[in-house]
This record gives sequence, C-alpha cells and structure tokens, in this order.
Amino acid sequence: MKKITPEEIRQLSRYIYDVSGIALDQSKAYLFETRLGPLVEAHGLADYAELCRKARTGPGKQLENEIVDAISTNETLFFRDNGPFELLRNKILPDLIDARSARASKILPVSLRIWSAACSTGQEVYSVAIVLKELLQQDLNRYRIKLLGTDISDAAIAQASRGTYGKFEIERGLPRDKLVKYFRPAGAGWKIKDDLRAMATFRKLNLMLPFGALGKFDIVFCRNVAIYFTPQDRKKLFERLAGVLAPDGYLIIGATESLTGVCPRFTPRRHLRSIYYQLNTAPKNELRKSIAHRTGRRVSLTA
Amino acid sequence: MRNLNILVVDDDPVTRKLIEKKLAPAGFSITLAENGRRALEHMGRELFDVVITDLMMPGEPDGIGVLKAARKKSGYTEVLLLTGHASVDTAVEAMKAGAADYLQKPVNFHELMIRLDRIAEYKNLSKTALDLREAMDVTECAAAETIQELELRAAVLQDVLHKIGETLRQTDLAPDQRLAMVESHLSAAFTEVS
Repeated sequence: MKKITPEEIRQLSRYIYDVSGIALDQSKAYLFETRLGPLVEAHGLADYAELCRKARTGPGKQLENEIVDAISTNETLFFRDNGPFELLRNKILPDLIDARSARASKILPVSLRIWSAACSTGQEVYSVAIVLKELLQQDLNRYRIKLLGTDISDAAIAQASRGTYGKFEIERGLPRDKLVKYFRPAGAGWKIKDDLRAMATFRKLNLMLPFGALGKFDIVFCRNVAIYFTPQDRKKLFERLAGVLAPDGYLIIGATESLTGVCPRFTPRRHLRSIYYQLNTAPKNELRKSIAHRTGRRVSLTA
Repeated sequence: MRNLNILVVDDDPVTRKLIEKKLAPAGFSITLAENGRRALEHMGRELFDVVITDLMMPGEPDGIGVLKAARKKSGYTEVLLLTGHASVDTAVEAMKAGAADYLQKPVNFHELMIRLDRIAEYKNLSKTALDLREAMDVTECAAAETIQELELRAAVLQDVLHKIGETLRQTDLAPDQRLAMVESHLSAAFTEVS
C-alpha cells in the first residue's frame, strides 16, 4: 500500500474538509491509506498529492465524489440503539399525530415530514418506515407521511435508494419476523418492499451547505454524524437544524452525543430512558422573569 | 453485491469469450486480455479487484508473471489461476506466490462464481470492518469530550447547590440578604455553564 506523507495528509484533509466538512487530522494516516490508496491506484496516479491536485482542478465532480464516497464512514444498522425507535413508537408519533389531528381540516390529511440527515445506506429511514407501518397499520394511507434520507455519499444514497441489503447488513439489527414481513429476497440479498420504499425519498446532501430549502420537518434524526465535524461546525449545524424544525418538532441525536453547551436553542427532554430535543419554549428571558416572579425581585442572570 | 472489476487473461479466445459471456450478466465488470503483455498494460491503467489468468500462456510474462505483477502492483487485487491438468503442481507453487485460488480447466462456472462471491464478500467485510473501526474511534473521542463537558457542568451545579445550602443555613442573616446571596450563586453558575 502506498504510504502517505504528513504534507499529503495536510493537503488532503484540507480538501476533504472543504468538500464535506469531515475533519481528519495527522493521526488518521491509516485511514487515508486504506480508503484513498485504491483510488490513487485505480486512476494510475503517482501519489496522494496528485490525487488531491486532480480532485481540486479536474473537470467535473467525478473524482470528488469518489473521494467523498471512500472517506465517509457508512457505519449503520437497522434499529441502531433501539431507544429512538421505541421513543418514536411510544411517544413522538402518538403525540405528533394527536397534535396534528387536532389542527387538521376535514379535507387535508394529517401530514408528517421526517428527515434522516445522514442516512448512510438507508437502514435508519427504513427502520422508521417499519415503525410507522407497525404503529399505523392500515391507517397509514390516511396520513401524508414523507421520509427524506440525505447523505454526502453518492454510493450510500444509491444503495439506500435501491433498498437492497446483503446478508451481513440484514443480520445487523433486523429481527427475523420484520425481515420476512418487510423485505423480499433479491439475488443474494434482500430488498425492502415497495410500499415502504414508496414512503421515502433519498438525495445527496452536504450538511455544511444551506438546507433551508428542504422546508420544515416534524422529526429530524441527526445521529452520529456531527461527531465527524469540528466543534464549531457542530454548533453551526445544530443551529441550522433548529431553523428547519417545526416549533413542536423533535430532534434525535446519537446515543453518545449531547447538545448541552453545543446549541442553546434546544432543550433536552426525557421519555423513560430516552432523550430527545425540542426547541426552547422558554428562552432565558422567560426563565429570568419566572424566577423574578416567584421571588418577587428583579434577578440579574447574566447568562 | 457483485460489483467486482475483473481482468480475464487467456490466450485461448474461446475461454476468454466464454468467461465474459458467463460473468458479465451476473453483474461483474469484465476486461479481456489475450496475453500477459496486454494484461500488464490494462493493470497499469486501472485497478482490478480480481485477475483471472491462465497459468500456461505463450510469450512473456506467463500466468505466473501476471500473478507476480498483480501482487506487486496492488494489495487489493486477488488473482485466480486457471490450470490444465498437467500444471497442478505449478498451481500449488503459484498459491504460495500469493494467488487466491486456482481452478482446473475446463472452467466449472458454478465453482468460479462461488470463488468470486467469496472474494466479493471478503472485500465487503473488510470495508465494513474498516468503517466500524473508524466509527468506533470517532464515537469514542466525541463521547469522551461530551462526558467531560457534562462532568464539568455537573460539578458546577453541585457546587452551586452546596453554596445555596450553606447560605440557607446561615440563620443569623436576614432573609433578604440570604436571597441576594442565593441569586448571586445562581448567577455565577449560569455564567460558568453558558
């Protein structure tokens, strides 16, 4: 395998940051070598510096896409961490459907928009689809539910869109009864059934770029992706996610992540053993007022 | 899952065409070379997941030469050898030189497909393992930062609770004074955590 020099790492990590926001440092030499080494060879390039130069100056986005596909980590599984899906089934969906039904008119069906912001090869989106199907069953058609899956990797989006999974992907997290119910055999693997596939749309998206045009979402899954960004970019990302969440919407982040100290616009809430986030209804001013009200004094909270 | 890029090297046009005819519809991408020299040219231009080469070919390099060149060029390329009955001993030698496997001619396509699927599966698994390792490393680092941040906040809150407790126990102070102190503790804690 071709060895990478510290200078090449510097150039390539700068480039990868520019096109994807993924932050890699000198400690990741093995990652550059194992993931980008094959690209250097496949294109008959002399070294990693040439790969970087070609990607920056070359016509079209072909090489950029290949680099992003290779360097992004597609670690995912069906019903990952389980908690969020229980939360969805037992708390979020019932609450949202109640709230939306109260508001819905007779003509327009209740509509829900759910976004998986880094959907990788689609397992999260289809896990959500399965929860929806199991919860609403034949009533599913009475609602207008749209699932959107986005990811930075073309290759990941392509697989998500096909909805096909190999034996090892299926074995990770998908119980046998759900496999038989919601997938059909396809070649050496399995394919998600059409009715579940039809609930979802997939498209490529770089989370570092504006996404306000996607509209508002009732539920956003943004799990285990911000961890690949710098702390500053993490903050900005969650600020921008706050902008696309419905006022009573729900944000779900990774099991090992926390927004405490990252984004003050969200309040963590708890249901049983799961944490989810909602937009603040009581900003700091309100808190100040409420303390002042209770104590009957003016309070000087500097925060 | 069959997205392997395969180079087929054989001086016999019938074998070449037959392999292409069987493998292309199964989803593999196939390049053909009629001798070792051509094979090396192709290998210089692109990266193959698998090279299937006849062991005995006229001219230089022969099958062993193609095998050695492929192994030297890249650790990603797996080599499958095709041998006539007479050359099994040589095939065993070739395995020692790094070939992934060998098949006797005439080629049994069912057997070839099993070998290729195994290579595809191995490549998939090694990518999955690499992704898993990276995801674990990054998650662990990020989780450590998160825990540190939460620990600090917990410590600040513990501290302010302790101070408020102390203040409330100072019964010699007027209620107004105690309230002012509690507020100042709260205010300091808010500043620290935001």
